[in-house]
This record gives sequence, C-alpha cells and structure tokens, in this order.
Amino acid sequence: VIDDALWSAIGDPTRRRVLDLLVRGPATPTTLGENLPVSRQAVTKHLKVLTEVGLVTAGTTGRERRYHVDVERLRRATGQVADVATEWDARLHRIKDLAETLHRSREDEP
Amino acid sequence: MTIEREILVAAPPATVYAVVSDPAHLTTWWPDRAEFSPVPGGSGTIEFETADGTVVHRLTVVEAVPPRLFSFRWSDHPDGRDLLVTFEITATATGSRLRLVESGFGDDAVRQDHERGWDVFLPRLAGVLA
Repeated sequence: VIDDALWSAIGDPTRRRVLDLLVRGPATPTTLGENLPVSRQAVTKHLKVLTEVGLVTAGTTGRERRYHVDVERLRRATGQVADVATEWDARLHRIKDLAETLHRSREDEP
Repeated sequence: MTIEREILVAAPPATVYAVVSDPAHLTTWWPDRAEFSPVPGGSGTIEFETADGTVVHRLTVVEAVPPRLFSFRWSDHPDGRDLLVTFEITATATGSRLRLVESGFGDDAVRQDHERGWDVFLPRLAGVLA
C-alpha cells in the first residue's frame, strides 16, 4: 500500500522540480526560487510539504535555512510509483494476451 | 498523480473492450472475483485472495462507450483513496491501441499531473541515486 502523504507530496510537478534541484545539492528557498517559475513564498510552502513527509530536511547555517534531500526516503517514494506502473504493465499484457487469444479463436471458427 | 500506459493489441477494439469491461474477463487479468454491471453507474465488487484472506473492493462504472471507452472508480484499499481507471481503445491498422490511465492519487490539482513528468524525472533520479 502506498503512503498517501508521500505520494501526494511527489505528485505535484513543482515539488518534483524542487526535488530535482535538491538532489544536485542542498539549497536555500532563495536559490531554489531563482531556478523555479514560482515565488520564494511558494517555494517555502512546497518545502514545508516535502519536509512534513520527510523527503527533505532543513538545517540552519547562516541566515537562511538550507534544505537537502533524504535520498533513502526519495528512493522509497519513487520505487512505489514504479511499482504501480509495473503492476499495470503486467495487467495490460494479460489483457493483450486474452484479447488476442479470443480474437484468434473467433477467426478459427467456420 | 496519474499513471499512463499504452499497449498495442492484435485484436479489434470490440474484443479489447470486452476484455477490459466484462466481469467474466476481468478475473483473467486482475481480481479473483468480479461482480458488477458494465454500464454507466453500474456498481459491484471485485475481490482479491490474499495471504490475509479475501479483500473486497467496491467498483463503480463511470463511462461505458463500446468499443472505445470504459472507466470505473475503485479503491485500492478498503478505506483508501478513490482511484479512477480509464481504458481508451482506438482502432489501428493491425488491431487496437489500448491506453490506460489511473488517476486520483491525491487531490484534483494533483490529478492534472501526468506521468510524462515521471518519465523524465525517474530516469534522471535513477542516475543521481545510483
């Protein structure tokens, strides 16, 4: 079963952009904002969501908080998404096999 | 959050439609038991045998437009989120293209997002996390 909060946190495209930037190295809301088409306030909001689910953690050095990715937690989250996609791939292949078998058996009928 | 998948099938759309919508066929590719009427608003159950016993999920048909569109809501957990599964079938020169979309992992804003994002994001992460 997928962790709902985690799933929602990474379901948002802007938050994925934030994570994408953070996997390159720790950053502050200001530097993240410079690389994203959203305000610093919006970045802070997204960071709060990501922090709540444990995907990023904040450390204070200097005047601004610096955020970094929890790689293990992110690996788990992305793995869950991949699992759901993989399950559907397996189901679709079974659908394909069944439809093609049904189709062939009908064609074989006199 | 949305999962999107496509597969080519060497069978006409009507056959593919039957496989994704007929409860008798559903049990071949997904649940152990399925009982619902494959018409809009049709409601019923799908059951899975697990190590912990039988797990029953409610399923409600949303759209049923043979042979091109079939969608239903279900919950992947008895008290979990509501998921929307949509099958779109288009005719091709050699049979059909079946497109699956499963959405609803979260709120409506999140539902707008597409797996296209993941197609870019996941491989890139894989490189970083490796």
